[in-house]
Amino acid sequence: MKSATLKFYKEKLLRVLIYIQQQLDEPLTLKILAAQAHLSPYHFHRIFTGMIGESLHLHIRRLRLERSAMQLKHNQKSVIQIAFEAGYETHEAFSRAFRNVFHLSPSQFRKKNRSIQIYSRSGIHYHPNHILKNFKTQPKQKGIQMKVNLKTLEPQLVAFIRHTGPYSECGTAWDRLLTLLGKEGLIDSKTQFIGLCHDDPEITPSDKIRYDACVTVDKHFKPDGEIGIQTISGGDYAVLTHFGSYSKLNESYKKLIGTWIPRSGRELRSSPCFEIYLNSPENTEPEDLITDIYAPLK
Amino acid sequence: MEKIDLYRIHKSEYIAPKKPTLLQIEPAYYLAISGQGKPGNEKFTTKIEALYGVAFTLKMTRKFKGQQDYTIGKLECLWFIDGKKIADQTSQDRWRWKLLIRTPDFVTQSELDHTITTLLKKGKEPAIREVNLELLNEGQCVQMLHVGPYDQESKTIAIMKSFTEAKGLSLKGPHHEIYLSDPRRVPSERLKTILREPVTTQ
Repeated sequence: MKSATLKFYKEKLLRVLIYIQQQLDEPLTLKILAAQAHLSPYHFHRIFTGMIGESLHLHIRRLRLERSAMQLKHNQKSVIQIAFEAGYETHEAFSRAFRNVFHLSPSQFRKKNRSIQIYSRSGIHYHPNHILKNFKTQPKQKGIQMKVNLKTLEPQLVAFIRHTGPYSECGTAWDRLLTLLGKEGLIDSKTQFIGLCHDDPEITPSDKIRYDACVTVDKHFKPDGEIGIQTISGGDYAVLTHFGSYSKLNESYKKLIGTWIPRSGRELRSSPCFEIYLNSPENTEPEDLITDIYAPLK
Repeated sequence: MEKIDLYRIHKSEYIAPKKPTLLQIEPAYYLAISGQGKPGNEKFTTKIEALYGVAFTLKMTRKFKGQQDYTIGKLECLWFIDGKKIADQTSQDRWRWKLLIRTPDFVTQSELDHTITTLLKKGKEPAIREVNLELLNEGQCVQMLHVGPYDQESKTIAIMKSFTEAKGLSLKGPHHEIYLSDPRRVPSERLKTILREPVTTQ
């Protein structure tokens, strides 16, 4: 493991973590935070989750609730005002969220002497006047066997149909693409079947996820109708083979981007990850499916 | 319209236990292409590509037209020498083979001809022309699963042979292999192949 890259990513994330603490009332979008870290928005969220041990959304929500707890104790603001400041629209929604983590209603909490800290694996808590200097990186889980290969690819021309919506429904795009190209004799045993994933399913609402079903074509291919053409960028890639059902692919992405990359000595390039399907779901049992996940490297 | 999977429909013909079993195989249609020489050489690969290209294009043309859809079968192959069985020590250069992909009986010769024309127009290998539609009638067969490299099949075949002889039958060939694993992806010790040997009472 390369401690230099882990340190490199840690420093970048520290800037983001400090920014979050200081701008807790602002809309903290993925784009803004990735820019703070000078990291690609494509991969930022998986790096964040992998190293901090909670998603960005949960991290921000937890800090806002910790701040609410501190306000309940140390000033006279009304519960409803504190609720609004934490981003909740109603007293009820706030009380429910608050009770979930502190096991007391906001007004009960105000009267008791309880810690304002909510459990966090990274050890990061709300601290208004204190500059965060360090945090606990999530350890690599024991027993995880991860064989990552490095590959250098030439730029590859692909024909594609875009699917917008949950990954589980991308079959329709594949069906159209394979039928339209297949009947023209453009698919043979050398064709590669590639899924280009523009969005992280943990941060993008499922109806907005963009996925391109792609097959390799040569330079003579003419795009037509709903079929587009694009080039998958060449360069270095970290490749992890995922064995089993497509529904568990995201677990492998999390391992590759969140755990392996920060310790690899390499940085991610700002372009999407993709998957190459090595066998066909049409005549393969889900547990026997083999998929290579490609993460682009600088 | 429900998609057809021939391997599910004819499930009983694809039973492949780790011990030999005797079973009856119904006549079946295949897309087929033949050749001679060492398995895995360039000619062999070119013909697999031709066969697969035809199978895929044919299926997708039907699907586009809204005709009955089906799952493309697995790659299968018959092995023989001059119509006879292959003896262990013969030179692989003399081996003859017929690569097969099982295809539903509603697929017609004119659909195949149309597909070949489409592919030749796309500048595909002339080997495309050699793909035929064939009916294979194997009848009574002994079948067994072989796990491991293809060049270690002789052990499995020996078990099948003694099983067959114990039943008062004999192997008549051609030796038939149904490839359940993709040798490009699966390590050779884990390759699964159904071995099928037509038998005769003689």
